[in-house]
Amino acid sequence: MTARRTNAPGLFERLLPTLVIVVFIIGWELFVRWRGIAPIFLPPPSQIAKYFMRMVMDGSLGLNLGATLLRIFVGFAIAAVAGVALGVLMGMSRLAARVADPWIAALYPLPKIALIPLLVIWLGTGEAYKIVISAITAFFPIVISSYAGIRQADRGLIKAAEDLGANRRQIQMKVVIPSAIPSIFAGLHLGMGVTIILVVAAEMIGGAGHLGMGNLLITAGQVMETEKVFASLVVLAVVGAVVIKSQQWIDRKVAPWMTSRDEH
Amino acid sequence: MDVIAEDVTQIWPGRHGADVVALDRFSHRFASGRFSCLLGPSGCGKSTLVQIVGGLEQATSGTVRIVDPKRPDAARPLGADSVMVWQHLNLFPWRSVVDNVAFGLEMQGVPKQQRHERARALVASVGLRGFENHLPGHLSGGMRQRVALARALILERPILLMDEPFGALDAQTKIVMQEELLRIFDETKKTILFVTHAIEEAILLGDEVIVMTARPGRIKEVIKVDLPRPRSLEMVSSKAFGELFDRAFHLIREEVMTSMAQQAEALEAQ
Repeated sequence: MTARRTNAPGLFERLLPTLVIVVFIIGWELFVRWRGIAPIFLPPPSQIAKYFMRMVMDGSLGLNLGATLLRIFVGFAIAAVAGVALGVLMGMSRLAARVADPWIAALYPLPKIALIPLLVIWLGTGEAYKIVISAITAFFPIVISSYAGIRQADRGLIKAAEDLGANRRQIQMKVVIPSAIPSIFAGLHLGMGVTIILVVAAEMIGGAGHLGMGNLLITAGQVMETEKVFASLVVLAVVGAVVIKSQQWIDRKVAPWMTSRDEH
Repeated sequence: MDVIAEDVTQIWPGRHGADVVALDRFSHRFASGRFSCLLGPSGCGKSTLVQIVGGLEQATSGTVRIVDPKRPDAARPLGADSVMVWQHLNLFPWRSVVDNVAFGLEMQGVPKQQRHERARALVASVGLRGFENHLPGHLSGGMRQRVALARALILERPILLMDEPFGALDAQTKIVMQEELLRIFDETKKTILFVTHAIEEAILLGDEVIVMTARPGRIKEVIKVDLPRPRSLEMVSSKAFGELFDRAFHLIREEVMTSMAQQAEALEAQ
């Protein structure tokens, strides 16, 4: 057995992160009250909490968050399916890689936000545009990671499989694709991150009457409801953290060997 | 199964235009049921040779034939009668112990229940009962080595090709694995080609030790090891063992020096 961390974290070590957060919030509250800062610039946490509760009660938070989450998942799902499919295809077919490579090389470094004007002209400011912009952005890191994962499959494992009687197809299905999974997952993580960013950014354009956290943020900002801005930001931060954590959880369930990869 | 190598030459295209001759007209008959050790400095082409025998590399020239001594006319395709055990093990990290061991049967289309049954029996026979569902990453080096051995043995091929299989193990684990391999050899009487750069290991395990020269790899001398079987580690301190060791050591020392000079030269050329 390789050395493992035997010293479990003590109570203090486990509580410290929470304690730091609590101290930060209390400090913020006291600082704002002591200096008498106008809530328009920096509202105290207690006010933010009050606005948060109000947004929960009147249902506006649920509606806007629901709309944003739906777009995130639809955009991500499209990017994931298309990205993994193309990445794997490129990894397995040199022809596909040759054809796709110049496109990816040219389009990947392009800031996808720069496509917003064009997409608005083509698709308007409705659902299609928000999903397309997020899917396009997430697509590239997913394609590139999947392609790299397939290409970097361990030569030794491929030879071993060949020696044990695997044919070409079996090698691809049973060795190359499984060994690409850690890299594919890394691409999906990156893709999810940019999907969240792009959906919220896209929602900021489109004006009143549209649902979404981006829209909520921009309208609250325009009327100087800074408490609402902060409450929305906190919600987005928490949602982002939950999404990333659940992705990591799924990783561990689907690919438990990844955590011990360095040991094999 | 006999493995007959005739003038096997392997030339790798070199980086600076100069081709590297890894193996130079290697000819030898590895007789059925014999344990042959290939001993040589690094870069002498001994790993290349076993990969050619296993059908995993194409020799530049020369031939390797696998022949059943009972039917000497029918040549067998390379790779069909042999299986490799690798220095880097090459276990599939996403497969459990039992699924690693069953891999070869799975490729042949053996139904899951049957192949698992066979794999479990083999896992138990190499002393890993209770670890069937572990991932390789959760095992120690010696345990992983056993999995690799079981994965090769399940195919019941008459020829076992072993490329420095115990090279990465610590000294104690290595001893245990050598004893395990000796037991398997005595029970199955396979033809074994065993690559190593450890003199002691070569003599302890082999019926013959093929000492190779530094690059280009040629046979320098074949030492017959007439120590009785079953072998045991105690023989290491016997007089006969000591004499064999001295002989092999003198042969190999020169080659190691040459090999080191070659490596230094290669580094300077960069």
